[in-house]
Amino acid sequence: MRYDPPFRKSTGFIPALVALALLVVFPFVFTDTYSRHLMILVFIYAIVAASWDLSLGFGGLVNFAHVALFAVGMYTYGILAKTLGLDPWLAIPAGGLVAMAFAAAIALPILRLDGIYVILVTIAFSQLIYQIVISQSDVTGGTSGMVLLPPLKLAGHSFVLNHKIGYYYTALGIFVVSTACLYTIIRSRLGRAVIALRDNKYYAMARGVSEARTRLAALAASAFFAGVAGGFYGSYVRVASPDAFGLGFLTLILSILLVGGAGTLWGPIVGAFVITLLSEAIADYGPWRSIAIGAIIILILVFYPGGLWAAVQELREGVDMARTSMLARWRRNRGRAERERRLGTREQVISTPHGLIAYADSGGDKPPVLFIHGNSACKEAFQYQFAALRDDFRLIAFDLPGHGVSGNGEPETDYNVPAYAEVAEKVLETCGVKNPVVFGWSLGGYVALELSARAVVKVRGLAIAGTTPLNLVPDDFGAGYDASSHLILAGKQYFSPTEARAYAGSATAPYSATSAFMHRNLGRTDGRARVYMFSKLGVTDWPRQMRMLRDGTVPFAILNGSDDPFLNHSYIRGLHYGSIWTGAPFDIAGGKHAPFFNKPDEFNAAFRRFMREACGL
Amino acid sequence: MTFETFLFVLAGGLVLGALYALMATGLAVVWTTLGIFNFAHGAFITFGAYLAWQVSQTEAGNAGYFAGAAAAVAGLFITGVIFHLALVRPFERKPNVVLLSVITTLAGATILENAIDLVWGPRSKQLAPMVPGDATFFGVTTSKNQILMIVLVLIILAAVGAFLRYSATGRAMRAVAQNREAAELMGLDVPKLYAGAFGLSAAIAGLAGLFVGSIHFMTPSMGTDPLMKALLVVIFGGVARFTSPIYAAFVVGLVEAFSTYYVGLYWTPAVLFGLMIVVLIVKPEGLFGKYERSV
Repeated sequence: MRYDPPFRKSTGFIPALVALALLVVFPFVFTDTYSRHLMILVFIYAIVAASWDLSLGFGGLVNFAHVALFAVGMYTYGILAKTLGLDPWLAIPAGGLVAMAFAAAIALPILRLDGIYVILVTIAFSQLIYQIVISQSDVTGGTSGMVLLPPLKLAGHSFVLNHKIGYYYTALGIFVVSTACLYTIIRSRLGRAVIALRDNKYYAMARGVSEARTRLAALAASAFFAGVAGGFYGSYVRVASPDAFGLGFLTLILSILLVGGAGTLWGPIVGAFVITLLSEAIADYGPWRSIAIGAIIILILVFYPGGLWAAVQELREGVDMARTSMLARWRRNRGRAERERRLGTREQVISTPHGLIAYADSGGDKPPVLFIHGNSACKEAFQYQFAALRDDFRLIAFDLPGHGVSGNGEPETDYNVPAYAEVAEKVLETCGVKNPVVFGWSLGGYVALELSARAVVKVRGLAIAGTTPLNLVPDDFGAGYDASSHLILAGKQYFSPTEARAYAGSATAPYSATSAFMHRNLGRTDGRARVYMFSKLGVTDWPRQMRMLRDGTVPFAILNGSDDPFLNHSYIRGLHYGSIWTGAPFDIAGGKHAPFFNKPDEFNAAFRRFMREACGL
Repeated sequence: MTFETFLFVLAGGLVLGALYALMATGLAVVWTTLGIFNFAHGAFITFGAYLAWQVSQTEAGNAGYFAGAAAAVAGLFITGVIFHLALVRPFERKPNVVLLSVITTLAGATILENAIDLVWGPRSKQLAPMVPGDATFFGVTTSKNQILMIVLVLIILAAVGAFLRYSATGRAMRAVAQNREAAELMGLDVPKLYAGAFGLSAAIAGLAGLFVGSIHFMTPSMGTDPLMKALLVVIFGGVARFTSPIYAAFVVGLVEAFSTYYVGLYWTPAVLFGLMIVVLIVKPEGLFGKYERSV
């Protein structure tokens, strides 16, 4: 299954736009040469590190010649622009192309090698290039390098003037273009093949990914950007020096990559900012600078292998957690009247081992029904049931941890199906209900199955909607659901506005005056609840649920919408049920994933009939 | 080429070969035992040379050559153990330990090199030859220092070989290298043996530094070239047996000597690295014997 929205619809779009805008105005705020010079270095290093990541982080292929390819681009610029007098603007991309050709030469011997041997061959290759460069002193200037390379000019204006403003914007332009290209490559067929080969080589090969061709393409693509960066660097510092082959430069770029976070596109870019500015700040300390960089690499690898990008993610998670938690606390008082009007009953909050839980109980000495809502929803999703069924039944609904106006939970312990079932037990205990009928929707359906299978509460009847009973997890996911972007979104931590609209629209109902509250509620849901729901699938005893269904001791109904876009109806029909109401899953005609919300009248009628049978009325 | 020139070049090749053998053996000990590549090996060689200089030279310590060698061996053994504990141990059980240890040892080498720069300064130094004067064989004149060096290297290698082959600790090290889990089940103290192997490798590097310092000038960054040569030798010969890198070292030393004579000084490294790439493509396990790797 593949889900990749265009960049402008993803969560990274607005932050990236803001960062770009800041970089565009930067030279107007900092008009001095030095700060612009630093930023130009940042851009160049970011390109080299990010393009290296394509093979190292994403591909797991440690090409230690990458930095030598940067030097190749630099020398190409020097030879073409100075010795042969080619237009500097052409010499820079030519540097990229020559670096690509070198990368292809490097790629050939390592196409079928692995692990340490790739490192050794690429180191040997970069040494080879280095030795050739310093031995050909009449072409390359030998150990002293090439000096006085021609600078960039546009319409007679030298980019060196005006405090390097021309170089700044050229560097920014190359940086943006290379980042955009890398972003596209990573999400393209090639990028997926590269990642697949890293994660499971033999599986990827069995699926038709050619290891040799993918490696070659990845190395060539990453070499091109390194070469262009090298060419531009040559035009900027106007020197091509063999120092670029040295272990010092290699260590610097490597530290940018690792400190930023390997295997991510944005990590090396963040790393370039931090490491370049840091290493310039301590540039005067001579050997101490190298010692500090070395120590940073080691400390990061030992104590924080994810790098800065992981830190950024943690920060974001913290901010998002604080936001959702504050939103829940605020709404607990603020929108209470409206919520009580929807369910027509008082909202109460209890403290459970899994955090504060808000619930509504219509009360009375009638057959009790517990409603459990789905992923990223809230108890008010059952407003039409509360309106129509309250005279005949005692209706109870609650917000799952991290949802609605319940508090956020501890992700490791609170955001999984058994924990949700424990919460349901606690709510029932508080209401003093002994044997309820339980209705679960989607994720809530699994909670209902789990609650019934645990048998701590004796469930009198069980109904689910939008839920596929699972035997083998996660294998049955593929069979039980139509693989669509919805499944990815269901476990996605952060939603962009487009994604939020798409998810809430397909899970409940498209945005309208009546469904607006469900859409609003989506933004409150703790994103970690979605992630942990999937990562903690293993803690649920799925076969126990199936055994319960096969035994058929509990009256059971499946009330799916006939047009539920996510379910594989034939899989659900094909399962073996010990006893099922009407003998087969019952479809609510025209209902979607939330039939009780889209087609309340039809659903309520069916549910009432099931209730009557289950409770023997 | 006259016979005298041939002998002269041959002698030069043998000297280089002996040095490379010592460097590569240290590297191979770590590679075979821990399965990783130690990029700080060059910095170890540098550190050994500087320690020996500090202890043995007139203007510094003047405690004599033996004391210098002892200081290099002891100091480097400790350094090796520290490097192992700080740079390799934390990643031992990770799936990408090979890559991680390359990066950390590279960083460790940077730290060590720059620390040497801080302590002893960037100015080049030299160890006095162990024995002064020249000797002449078959009309070829060579320094007695170099002859003594070849002899000493062969003795050291024989001693290390005997240690690995016959002593209980050496056998335990080889057992751990062959099958870590089985060795652990037999009650061998694997962490201690790993640290010991790393220390032994570093101590050999320290001795190599002593010899390098007596025939070349010493600078804080002098380790890069020996590291590359050791890497080349180890790849060239493979690490199937203790002796594989030793044979390869002499092959590389001779190739280098003759290539310098015929092709020229500047192209020699290119010839060597070109040869190494060919060997890696054709016979990645090395020229001398087969070594089963688990990737």
